[in-house]
Amino acid sequence: MAFKKTIKSEPFIPTSSMGDIAFLLLIFFMVTVVFTEETGLVVTLPRAEAGEEGVRDLLTNVYINEKGMISIDDQIVPVDRVAALMAQKVQENPFMIVAFKTDKHTPYGVVSDVMEQLKEAGAVKVFFNTDLDLPGVPY
Amino acid sequence: MGVLAKRKKNRGTNEIPMASTSDVAFLLLVFFIVMPMKQEEIGLSLVLPGKKTKETTVKIKQSHVATIKILANNTVTFDGQPIALHGLQQAIKDRIVSDPKTVVILETHPDADYGMMIACLDEVKLADARKVSLKTTKP
Repeated sequence: MAFKKTIKSEPFIPTSSMGDIAFLLLIFFMVTVVFTEETGLVVTLPRAEAGEEGVRDLLTNVYINEKGMISIDDQIVPVDRVAALMAQKVQENPFMIVAFKTDKHTPYGVVSDVMEQLKEAGAVKVFFNTDLDLPGVPY
Repeated sequence: MGVLAKRKKNRGTNEIPMASTSDVAFLLLVFFIVMPMKQEEIGLSLVLPGKKTKETTVKIKQSHVATIKILANNTVTFDGQPIALHGLQQAIKDRIVSDPKTVVILETHPDADYGMMIACLDEVKLADARKVSLKTTKP
C-alpha cells in the first residue's frame, strides 16, 4: 500500500531577490534621469492660470533677467547675436520651441527685440514659461 | 577572582548588516523617479508669424480687430477704454461671442513690464481666443 506524503512546508513568496530588482531599477532611473545642466539667470517668472505643460525635450531656454541680460546655453548673448544662434539651432532641430524664462519685471522691449530676432531666424514656436497662479497675486 | 576574568568574550562574527540594503535601494529609487517629475515646464505657447512677406501678410477688417494695449505705466486698455485685468477675460469673451472672427492684438509698450503682458496673454488664453497677435508700440 502506497502512502501519500503530506508536504508540511508553508507557501511563501521569495523576497531575497527584491534588493537586486530594486538596484536594477535604481540603475535604470539613475542613467535615464536628466538633470538641468543649465544655470541660466536668476528670474522670477510671471504667474498665469492658462499655463500648459511644455515638451521639455524640444525646449531651448532663453533667460532674460530684470536688467535685460540675455543668456542662452549659459552664455550672455547680445540681442543682435540671437538670430544667428537660433538659426543654427533651428537647423539642427526644426521642431525646436524657444522657452522664454523671463523675469516679470523685465521691460517688454527686450523680449520684443528677442522675438524679432527669432522671427528672422525662423524659430517661430515660442513658449513663455510661467509659474502656477496664486490667488491674490496680481501677476 | 579578578574583574578581568569575568568579562565575556564576544564571539559574534563581524558582519555588516545587509537586510536593509533593499530599503536603501528603494528609497533612492523613489528619489530618482520623483526627481524628473518636479522639473515640469509650465507656460503659454504661441507661434510667431515669421518673416514678413507679401504672401504671409493677411489683411483683416478693422471691425474684426480687438486691441488690448498695455501702456508704459502698465495700465491696460481694451479698444481704447481703460480696463481692469480681471475684467479683461469677460470683455474678450463677449467680443468673440458677438464676432467669432475677432482677432486679438496685444500691443505692449516697450517700457511696460513683461509680467503684465503675460498676465494679459493669460486672460486672452483663458477667454479662448484663437487668433492672437503680439505687437510692440513704437516708441
